[in-house]
Amino acid sequence: MRLLVTGSAIRGLPVVTISGGEDVAEVRDVIYSPEAGRVVGLTLNKRGFLAGRRREVLPAETIRAIGRDAVMVDDEGSLIQPEDAPADVGAPPSGRDVTGDEVLTEGGTSLGQVRDVVVLVGTNGQVVGYEIDTTSGGTGYIPLSTQLAVSGRALVVPEATKDFVEDDLVGLGAAVDEFRSRLGIQ
Amino acid sequence: MSDRFASAFGRRVVSRTSAEELGKLAHLVVDTKRLRVTSLVVGKGRKALVVDWEEVSGFGPDAVMVTGESALHPPRDDRERAAADGKLEMVDMRVLSDLGNDLGAINDVVFDPATGVIETLAVDDREVPAASLLGVGSFAAIVRAPAE
Repeated sequence: MRLLVTGSAIRGLPVVTISGGEDVAEVRDVIYSPEAGRVVGLTLNKRGFLAGRRREVLPAETIRAIGRDAVMVDDEGSLIQPEDAPADVGAPPSGRDVTGDEVLTEGGTSLGQVRDVVVLVGTNGQVVGYEIDTTSGGTGYIPLSTQLAVSGRALVVPEATKDFVEDDLVGLGAAVDEFRSRLGIQ
Repeated sequence: MSDRFASAFGRRVVSRTSAEELGKLAHLVVDTKRLRVTSLVVGKGRKALVVDWEEVSGFGPDAVMVTGESALHPPRDDRERAAADGKLEMVDMRVLSDLGNDLGAINDVVFDPATGVIETLAVDDREVPAASLLGVGSFAAIVRAPAE
């Protein structure tokens, strides 16, 4: 059973040290790389209501797990200054936000607009799909495969994606495996 | 014989040399690397004092015997201060798996009163082996994720 969460559910999660059991920060935002199809890192706030931003970032390599209730790191040393982080985390290129991008199939059908990314719980940021505002005005979830093209305005997805527009995250969890096996990817 | 944290709280702490009661057991502090009790907190609030496990001469069912009144000392560092404030108390502490999922709260901790070795944790009435404990802090106890 795959447990999935949206990017917006990750925002506000506490960042907790495994060795110390302390909540050292909370998630401000998710840094997503559409080319890599994964979360490459997290930006951080201090813990507590209106406590403000923390300068440090959390690259995906130092995240032990993004869970349902917390983001786990080994210790506070996992939080690093942006200058010391990989460039795509420390200084992410602008225009990388896929939110609002139109999702077009290879055959030219518009499935809707990207609202959020969907992350596999327990990994350090594997993105398995997108939450979309569908063209009919509802909410849908589509599995992510190797992306064909990303322009900053639209992304092109395999034609088969249109058979896998799910109504909820549970449906997407089941659809991911079937979709991938149909496309012959692992 | 095993003892349990929840039933040990409130037990008299008595000096072996003077037979005087020095206070009541308020907290037990666990070292997660060694998986054993390393100190006790006697009394609550600003008067809380710490006793190292080495100074416990007998952890009995009716009283906790310590070597003497001098065994009780004020907190010496941040971790002991947190312990004296009850922030490291494992009973009622939230439990997170190392995969970031909330597993509930610790209801009780089973330990060997002769050695201080932690045996199991009761987490929402499930038994979790002490060996899966990875860290204890003021936010949560972290345990290795149970196999799905």
